[in-house]
Amino acid sequence: MAELEIRDLTIRVDGSDILNGVTLDLEKGKTLALMGPNGSGKSTLAYAIAGHPAYEITGGQILFNGEDIADWTPDERNRAGVFLAMQYPVEVPGVSLTNFLRTAVNARLDEDKPVREFMGDLRTAMSDLQIDESFLQRSVNEGFSGGEKKRFEILQMALLKPQIAVLDETDSGLDVDALRVVSEGIDSLRGPDLGVLVITHYTRILRYVTPDEVHVMLDGRIVASGGPELADELEDHGYEHYVVSA
Amino acid sequence: MTTSIDTATPGVATEPTPQPTLDTLDEAHLASQSRDTGEPSWMADRRQQALSTWSGQSWPDRKKDEFWRNTPFARLVDVGRPLITGADHDGDHTVELAVGVVDHLDAPAATVTIVDGDLLDVRVDQSWADQGLVVVGLRDAAAGPWAGIVSEHLGSLTTTGHGSGADEDRTISANDAAWDAGVFVYVPAELEVKAPIGIQAHVTRPGVHQPRILVKAEHHATARVVLEHVGGDLGDVERTSRVKAPAVVNEVVEVIARDSAQVDVVSVNEHGDDVAYLALQKAAVHRDATVRHLSVTLGGATVRIRPEADLVGPGASAVYSGIYFTDEGQHFDVQPYMRHLAGHTTSNVLYKGALQGDSRTVFRGNVFIHKDAKGSDTQEDNRNLILTKGARADSTPFLEIECADITAGHGSATGQIDARNLFYLQARGIERADALRLIVLGFFNEVLDRIDMPVVAARAQAAIEGEIAMTDLDRVTVSEVAPNTPD
Repeated sequence: MAELEIRDLTIRVDGSDILNGVTLDLEKGKTLALMGPNGSGKSTLAYAIAGHPAYEITGGQILFNGEDIADWTPDERNRAGVFLAMQYPVEVPGVSLTNFLRTAVNARLDEDKPVREFMGDLRTAMSDLQIDESFLQRSVNEGFSGGEKKRFEILQMALLKPQIAVLDETDSGLDVDALRVVSEGIDSLRGPDLGVLVITHYTRILRYVTPDEVHVMLDGRIVASGGPELADELEDHGYEHYVVSA
Repeated sequence: MTTSIDTATPGVATEPTPQPTLDTLDEAHLASQSRDTGEPSWMADRRQQALSTWSGQSWPDRKKDEFWRNTPFARLVDVGRPLITGADHDGDHTVELAVGVVDHLDAPAATVTIVDGDLLDVRVDQSWADQGLVVVGLRDAAAGPWAGIVSEHLGSLTTTGHGSGADEDRTISANDAAWDAGVFVYVPAELEVKAPIGIQAHVTRPGVHQPRILVKAEHHATARVVLEHVGGDLGDVERTSRVKAPAVVNEVVEVIARDSAQVDVVSVNEHGDDVAYLALQKAAVHRDATVRHLSVTLGGATVRIRPEADLVGPGASAVYSGIYFTDEGQHFDVQPYMRHLAGHTTSNVLYKGALQGDSRTVFRGNVFIHKDAKGSDTQEDNRNLILTKGARADSTPFLEIECADITAGHGSATGQIDARNLFYLQARGIERADALRLIVLGFFNEVLDRIDMPVVAARAQAAIEGEIAMTDLDRVTVSEVAPNTPD
C-alpha cells in the first residue's frame, strides 16, 4: 500500500472545480514528477494534500497510511509526516527563524529536543544548503530573495523529516546555481523513508532529481503517465500535444 | 512574589476639612499642603497659579476637544474621587506591593518607590551619586541646591512653550496644582548613566493619584528611566458607575534633554482593572539630542497616554514607540505628538496594538512641522491587530506641516491575523493556538526589538504572553482565506 493515495479527487476553489477526478499513488522510496501547464491544477493538488482551508474536497479521498485525512488540520497532516514545500512561502513578521524552526521540529517529532542538539542539526542542514548563519537572526522569510525562500523550504523539509514531501514548483524563480544547490539538497534527502512528489512546469529540476514516474496534468486530470522518458518528450514537444488530444 | 512595606507616614498634618476631590481643588487646601510639606514659596505660588488656570477650565468634552473625541472623559474618569493622601494611612497599615520590571533591573543607578502619593523610598547607587547623579524627591530638590533647575523646568512643558503646552487641558492644570509624589532626576553634563533609573508607582487605594516627574539631562549626558505603574486591583470598592475606575492616576512627566543628551524613557503600565490612567510624558529635545520613549500599555480600565516630544534644537531626534494590548472592558487612547520646531529634526513613531474582547483603542498620531523646521524627517506608523469580534481600533495620523522642505511618511493599518501566516505555520506542524501565539508575539517584536533592555523586553513579552493566554483562541478570527495560487 502506498503511503499517500489520492483517489478520484475533486477539489473546488472559490466556487470552481479545479480538480476533476485525480488518482495518484506515492509510496516511500519513490519520486514522482507531476507536470503540466499553468492552471492545470498541480498546485491545487499540493494545497489540497496539505489541507489549505480554501481548497474544498468535493469528491474522492486523500488517504495517508490508509486513513482518510480530509478532516485533519494542516498541522495534524504535517505532524503525521506530510510536508508541502510552497511555491510562494509567506513572510511571518517578527517570528525568528530559529524560534519557528524549533517549534516546528518539536511539534513534528513530538519531543523537546535539547537546544544544543537542535542548533547542531540546524547548522549542519544550513551548511548543506549553503544558507548563511546570519539567517538565524532574521524573521521567517522576511526580506528573503526568491532563491533564499526556496532553500529555506528545503531546509525545513530536512529538519522535519517527512514521509511524504510535496514540492510545489520549488524550481521556479531559481537561477542555475540556486537550482543546483536546492536540487542537490532534495536529492540528498531522498531515500527509502521518503516519498517525493515534484510538481513542476519545466524539466530542468528533473535533471538533478530523477523521478521514478512522470504524470502529466491538464484541466484537473492526469492525462498521461510514464517513466522519466516522458519528461524528455514534454521537453521536446511541450503540452500542446495533450491539449489537442484532450 | 510580593514585598511588604510599612506605609506609615509621619509628619503629615490632619486635615481640617474633607479632602478635596479632583473636581473640588481649593486654594486653602493647596496652601496648607504646601506649608505642611515645606515647599518653597515659589512652588506654592506655582500651584496657586495652576489652580487659577484650573478654575477657568472645564473638564474635557469629547464634542469640543478634538484630542478627546474618542475618549469620553465624563463617562470614564471619576473626578469625584478625593485626592490621595498619606494622612489616612494608619500607623501599622501594611500593604502587599506588586513586583515588576523595576524590581528586576540589573544594577540600577537608582530606584524610587511611590505608594499612593507618598515617596516611600529613594535609593541611589553610591558610585553614581559620587559622579553627580541626582535622584531625589521633587520637594526636596526644590528646597535644596537644585531649586534653580527645578524652578526653571517644572511646568515648562505644561504651562509655556510650544504646541499644546500653552493651552493644555484641565487634567494637566490639575496635576500642576496638586501633584503629590514628585521625583527629580538630574544628570550633569557628560555623565553617561547607562544603568537604569527605576521609578515604580503603586496604587493600593482608591482616589486620585498625581505623580510628577522631572528629568533633566545636561549636555552630552545619558539617562535611562524606567517608569512603571503597578497595583490597582482593589477588590470590592464601590464604583459610581460600572466603567468609572475608583482609582485615577493623573501623571505628568517632563524630560529636558540638553544638547547631545541621550535620554531613554520606558513607561510600563500594568495597572489592575480599578485604575483610570492619564499621562502626559513630554520631552524637550535640544540640539542633536535624542530622546527614545517606549510605552508598554497592558493594564488599567481606561488609559490615555500622551508621549510627546518638542524638538526644539537643530538635529534633535525622537524615537517613540509603544505596544498596547487590550482585553474585555479596556479603553486605551494613545496620542504621541511630535513637534518639529527646528531644522533637521527627526522623529520616528511606531505603535502596535492588539485587541480582544469588548475593548477599544484609539491612536491619534500627531506631527507638527514648523515653518522653520527645514530638512526635517518624520515617519509615523500604527498597526492594530483585532483578535476577536467586538473590539474596535481607531487610528488617525494627523500631520500639520508648515514647511515644504521636509520628508514625512505615515502609515496606519488595522486588520486581523493573516490567514496565510496561520496556514504557513500550521503546515509546519505547529498547532493553531501555538501558531496564533507566535504570530501575535511576532507582531509586537518589531517594537520590542527597539529596546535594548533585556529585562523590559522579557517582561513585556511575558505580559503579552499572559494576554494571549487570556484570549479564547478558538474565537480568534483570521483574515479571509484566499487560495494561495491562481493555479
